Amino acid sequence: MNRRSFLLALAGLASTPGLRLVNALAAPAPRTSTLSLRLVDVTSQAGIQFHHNSGAYGGKFLPETLGSGCAFLDYDRDGWQDILLVNGMDWPGHKRQRSTLRLYRNNRDGSFSDVTRKAGLDVEMYGMGVAVGDYNNDGFPDILITCVGQNRLFRNTGKGTFVDVTRSSGLAARQSFSTSALWFDFDRDGLLDLFVCNYVKWSPEHDVFCSLDGKHKSYCTPEAYRGETCWLFRNRGNGTFEDVTATSGIFDSSSKSLGVAMLDYDQDGWPDLLVANDTQPNKLYRNMRNGTFKDAAVDAGIAFSAEGKARAGMGVDAADFDNSGTSGVAITNFDNEMIGLYGALGNGTYEDVAMQAGVGPISKNTLGFGCVFLDADLDGALDLLVANGHIDETVRNIRGNVGYAQPPQLFLNSGKRTFRDVAAEVGDGFSQPKVGRGLAYGDFDRDGDVDILITTNNGAGFLFRNDQLAGNRSIRFHLVGTSSNRDAIGATVRIFHDGSSQSRLVRGGSSYLSQSELPVTFGLGKRDRIDRVVIQWPNGKIEEYKNLAAGRAYECIEAKGITPLSGF
Amino acid sequence: MVGLSGNCLRLLTGTQPTGFLGETEGFVFGEPALYARGVQRSLTPNRSPTVGLLSGLIITLAAVVAYSWYITLQIAGLRELQSDLADRNRKDSLQLLRVQNDLNSLALAMRDMLDNDEPYPLTAWSAQFQRIREDLDDALRREEQVAVARRTPEQRQYLGNSLAQFWDAVDRTFALARDGKEDDARAQIRLSLQARQAALSTAVARLLVQNNEREEQAALRIGQIYDRVQRQVYIFLTATLVAILLTSFYMIYANRRLFAQLAALSEQRSELAQKLIAAQESTLLYISRELHDEFGQILTAIGSMLSRAGNHVPEGSPLRSELREVCEIAQSTLDNVRSLSQALHPVMLDEAGLESVVDWYIPVVERQTRLVISYEKSGTPFPVDGSVGVHIYRVLQEALNNVARHSGAGQAWVRLRFLPDALELEVEDRGKGFVAHSAKHGIGLVAMRERAELLGGRIDFLQPPEGGTLVRLRVPREILGSHVR
Repeated sequence: MNRRSFLLALAGLASTPGLRLVNALAAPAPRTSTLSLRLVDVTSQAGIQFHHNSGAYGGKFLPETLGSGCAFLDYDRDGWQDILLVNGMDWPGHKRQRSTLRLYRNNRDGSFSDVTRKAGLDVEMYGMGVAVGDYNNDGFPDILITCVGQNRLFRNTGKGTFVDVTRSSGLAARQSFSTSALWFDFDRDGLLDLFVCNYVKWSPEHDVFCSLDGKHKSYCTPEAYRGETCWLFRNRGNGTFEDVTATSGIFDSSSKSLGVAMLDYDQDGWPDLLVANDTQPNKLYRNMRNGTFKDAAVDAGIAFSAEGKARAGMGVDAADFDNSGTSGVAITNFDNEMIGLYGALGNGTYEDVAMQAGVGPISKNTLGFGCVFLDADLDGALDLLVANGHIDETVRNIRGNVGYAQPPQLFLNSGKRTFRDVAAEVGDGFSQPKVGRGLAYGDFDRDGDVDILITTNNGAGFLFRNDQLAGNRSIRFHLVGTSSNRDAIGATVRIFHDGSSQSRLVRGGSSYLSQSELPVTFGLGKRDRIDRVVIQWPNGKIEEYKNLAAGRAYECIEAKGITPLSGF
Repeated sequence: MVGLSGNCLRLLTGTQPTGFLGETEGFVFGEPALYARGVQRSLTPNRSPTVGLLSGLIITLAAVVAYSWYITLQIAGLRELQSDLADRNRKDSLQLLRVQNDLNSLALAMRDMLDNDEPYPLTAWSAQFQRIREDLDDALRREEQVAVARRTPEQRQYLGNSLAQFWDAVDRTFALARDGKEDDARAQIRLSLQARQAALSTAVARLLVQNNEREEQAALRIGQIYDRVQRQVYIFLTATLVAILLTSFYMIYANRRLFAQLAALSEQRSELAQKLIAAQESTLLYISRELHDEFGQILTAIGSMLSRAGNHVPEGSPLRSELREVCEIAQSTLDNVRSLSQALHPVMLDEAGLESVVDWYIPVVERQTRLVISYEKSGTPFPVDGSVGVHIYRVLQEALNNVARHSGAGQAWVRLRFLPDALELEVEDRGKGFVAHSAKHGIGLVAMRERAELLGGRIDFLQPPEGGTLVRLRVPREILGSHVR
């Protein structure tokens, strides 16, 4: 069921409270976990008190259903991952409260402190997503907040504060309904460039009246609005950006983009982009290495579903989930459309393997937003984590098996291209239904495994600590570029052990409106060391280090060697 | 006559019993030969049902083959129609819809270009146009592959020319935009591109309508084929049903005729056998009486005469001793003749009855065969007519003969039961059993059955749990007192 047919069906049915009871009874009972990990809700314990403000007052504005995102970042460069949660705000004329994004500084003891005001980020805006990147290569991550209206670029001063440089950077010239964004160095000049997704041409002034019953306003489907092109801004290196959307071939006025992920699908060392579009074909922008891109999504078999239908793409991530050395792709879609899990066939084409992998059928009744590949149980195979939640509060009235709040799904990878949802087994708090949107991971407690951050629409943010129960080990790499961009975004890290290998791409963006930490984590199971690590930096240079002990992190500085850190 | 006599003797004495049927040609009696000819006449080949049944089978098979051929033709026609028309039409329509979608995307892009609310120059749309152009070219190439057979040259030329002109106009528009002449480019879009796009869209829509019409025609033709096939199926089924009914009726008729012939044949055979038995018995009775009465009297007279002649010869005379010797020979011959007479037909059967004959016969058999026979007699004896008793006696003879010659047993049990409503004779042994040696005694068994049937009784050949054979003859009492031929 696509969004249009879903909403039409909604119009034809009355409320059915009994279905809630039926659904509650049909919900799977919690099972005793036999897994090697546990996800513990430490939101309150960590001192995170965040509530997303969608601004909903009854006007049923389209952006209200979509926010917001989150990020793990080390803004103060102390080696501990901090947290940023994006927020919306009340609509003009309906002011009830002041709401801003929240920046939480890691206290290094499992708790966080709200440093939003101190950092100069208590700025009201209708925020949607976040992209973190050191665009000026000063060693401190800067923040782009995508918004409905004017996006904001905050430069990190390196002193615990941020300065709004939107205007001076040249980004103020563009306003739209932006969603996901990412930093990447598309021209490999050592400077991070910026890619921004835009959804549709919408503004409060030009809101369209949509109704399911002919009387009351309801949320419109994206078909009601014109598409909007994504933007590509080239970093000039002087703190300003040049809009190269048109000249790079990115321009497409029909796109309705919600998610973007960076990948190197043709393995040429140049970053490509995969954009998830809502009710429009997905775009796979192939980097032509000359400053331009060419859409290869149709040829690659990733633009449409297997049935040739443009699905309602939301979040997207790309990673080497089958340890083949090539990135596969996950795209979350509307309910009844299933998650798209694309396996690389090795010749620049993809095949949707969601059904065979066991991800498709179980995601048919969920509406996915944020999605990330991560090795949750550190067994050496990337798992898939998805944040779910519907856009319509009354969905259960017409589809008894689909709720507004939906449990996240953690698909554990068997290592044989099959997955199993274990969300109900990793902790009661984790499997509680949520109206999930943003999703990011990062090792905030530096214990070697990745923890999870989830935002909800018009609700709280959740921090889940990952506790390993079986003693699986990991090895982590913090990459620092010198001639490449300092964040080393675009670098490929490949480790080899016992005749097998794993690879990770250092990347921003991915998921939905969110950004995970930049250090890469490899699960090693019970192994205590790896044979070697090969790093291909964004500029193409390759470095190799051998015989590294597991159970710790390493700092790799481009052309300057590798340094083991104490712990992670 | 010689053959018959030999046969009668064998039956009589229990040696080498042979059947009647195998020797039909040897009968001198007229009736059996006539019966045989009658049976042959009734089974002449030109009246066999095989021809009719084979004809029915051939007709049915021919009908099935013809119908299969017809259905194959119709299915081939349907397949051709569906693959060549319906499927190609469907694929063609899908490609035309793809073309239509691309044309719509072009229209939307041109609308956005004219709206001028993007902060980008018109050249920004060139990549978008290029993507659509590639998809449009691919769609048209595929469409031409599936639609080339039915597209008129004019239509192909019109579409190709229109598209070429459209892209030429697009190129010129972007050239103007690249030269900074955005207003001129927009004017070009308004004045030329949109009109060309609309014309193309109309042409494609017309092709889609044509496809729809063709699909309707194809559906109509397919429906007609289905109707025709359905009609033929009904006809075929009816014809098959009629053929099956006719064949079945004919088979029933032929079977009934066959069974009637078999029954008549069986009746004739039984009658023949019974007449043969009756003839044997009368012959043997005649010979027996002749031997007993004629030769017996003669030999007795010879003996008396020799005895008287001897009295006239002096004692010690050699003639007297020779006469005595001749007299002894005559006496011995007389004894043999009487024994033979008794063997051919026990005279005591008519005089003393069956019971006495059995009493006499058992020790005789024991002497001749060295069988140990346990003879039991039960019930109150009642008179048995000689004409009936002789058949019971013959059955006893044959049964004991079988025991002696074929069963391998050294002992036998004979039971004669005078039941209130019947006479029952049982001969039992513990030998090899009936099945083991039945093949060698087929004719003897047939004779026993025929005699039982002649008496209106019943004979069973049983296998007792202890092994061996039990022959049980049961004759209703009402038969026993009456005369049987």
